[in-house]
Amino acid sequence: MNEKQKNGVLTKKDLIKTSIRHYIGISTYNYDSGMASTVVWEQFPALRKIYKDDDELVAALDNHFKFYNCHPWLSAIITGATLAMEEKDGIESKDAVQNLKAGLMGPFSGIGDTITWVMLPTILGAIAGSMGKQGNAFGMWLFVLVFATLFVLRSYLYIFGYNQGVNLITNLGDKLNAFTDAISVLGLTVIGGIISSTVNFKLALSFNQGGVKLSGQSVLNELMPSLLPVALVGLLYWMMKKGFKMTTLILAVIVIAMLGAAFGIFKV
Amino acid sequence: MGLTALQVILITGLAYFKTLDISTTQIFAFDTIIFGAITGLILGDFKTGLVTGATLQLMSLGVAALGGASMPDYPVAAIIATTIAITTGKGMAAGLALGVPVGMLCINFDVLLKLINSAFARKAQSYAKKKEFKKMTRIIPIMTLLYPLQSAVPVFLAIVFGKPVVEAILNFMPDWFTVGLNVAGGMLPAVGIAMLLTYMPLKKYGYWLLIGFVLAAYLKLATLGLGLLGIAAAIPTYRQLVAQNESKKATNNVGSGLNEEDMQDE
Repeated sequence: MNEKQKNGVLTKKDLIKTSIRHYIGISTYNYDSGMASTVVWEQFPALRKIYKDDDELVAALDNHFKFYNCHPWLSAIITGATLAMEEKDGIESKDAVQNLKAGLMGPFSGIGDTITWVMLPTILGAIAGSMGKQGNAFGMWLFVLVFATLFVLRSYLYIFGYNQGVNLITNLGDKLNAFTDAISVLGLTVIGGIISSTVNFKLALSFNQGGVKLSGQSVLNELMPSLLPVALVGLLYWMMKKGFKMTTLILAVIVIAMLGAAFGIFKV
Repeated sequence: MGLTALQVILITGLAYFKTLDISTTQIFAFDTIIFGAITGLILGDFKTGLVTGATLQLMSLGVAALGGASMPDYPVAAIIATTIAITTGKGMAAGLALGVPVGMLCINFDVLLKLINSAFARKAQSYAKKKEFKKMTRIIPIMTLLYPLQSAVPVFLAIVFGKPVVEAILNFMPDWFTVGLNVAGGMLPAVGIAMLLTYMPLKKYGYWLLIGFVLAAYLKLATLGLGLLGIAAAIPTYRQLVAQNESKKATNNVGSGLNEEDMQDE
């Protein structure tokens, strides 16, 4: 394809092997070095081929043992690219490799986390969950199908990163932003809908007015459907913006639900 | 109904596989519902598993462990809740009473395993420095194999010893407690949704939230339909932004071209 590959020591087979090894993903995650061990393990056979000299290999491995934490799917693009750099320039690329990893892991994680760990599971989970509650397993299989497809694509991301090498940032940057924005539009449309379809609790209070029993929930329904769920989401959003932790809020919601049920304020 | 040894092994194995998958291949990642359903299948009641899994799936919406953080283990909750619901015959609320707390407890095990990983990573690095590369490549995947114990062990303990505990609790449990659990189940999706919204570009595209809400709440459009509409809305957004970038690039190029000429003049 280009001269880099002609001069390179890595064959297509080596690349496929490395791309498969990258699937050990975040299982090595720890608080000191992030997922550095994964990168070391994934690249070791390829690095062994690149560095004939043991001391150079040690230096290269030491470089990869530095803290690295990235969304594991998109990380494939980064480590694919650094592999190409090391193949081309050897141990001299050490600092460039470290800079590329440190520079891209943040933005890539931001994009990857939002799309594949938050939006996709939310959209697919809302579909699977609301169908599943009716006893319909279709949404569940759809969930698996989408993730299985993406699983296969992760290997291609690795090869893609390798072929791109250092040109990665310039070639990808703009399109990724457009893609994230487009996915956000999809995400927001669905989230707007699932507030009313998945957040589900009602006012259990009722009032006596001139001998007529008036249920509190029917009054609320007159104002707006799903008023309570919208209010709760709004309140929680505001609290998160104020810096409350998610686990704190989960516990608070459980306590409020229990008290609300005990005093007959809320029902399902 | 009690559990057979084979069922205990299969369910524990499922819990092990679940964390193995989410930390590596991620094919079933965040797919809480399927772990409820498969547990149901193992116990001969697919439907209960599906419905229990679906309930926990909705609770977990938008809750994600970002940047190496830990989160409540909803699939573990689904596996335990389904097992308890089916074996005690007391329904989903009974299952959730044990499943959700254990799922929350799993946060601690996740932290513990990540701390253990630190020790292994340091060992691997010291092997690398000593040029013992074989030992290094052998020790790293041990982390991969140990990490899933964080869900396998709690699930094993909960399904083997949990049933009598839960039954004892249920016998003492007042009515409002079950209602409260159901209300909590109805409220919890709001936490995830709110969390999700904090990541989203609300200022830029927040109006789509209104469109989605109106379609679902007033016009009762199903979620799948909303998703399709969202895709339709995403396509022009993408095209427009790419076109904008292209035109920006074009003007930049013209700009830099002029600069070069200017420099030549100098």
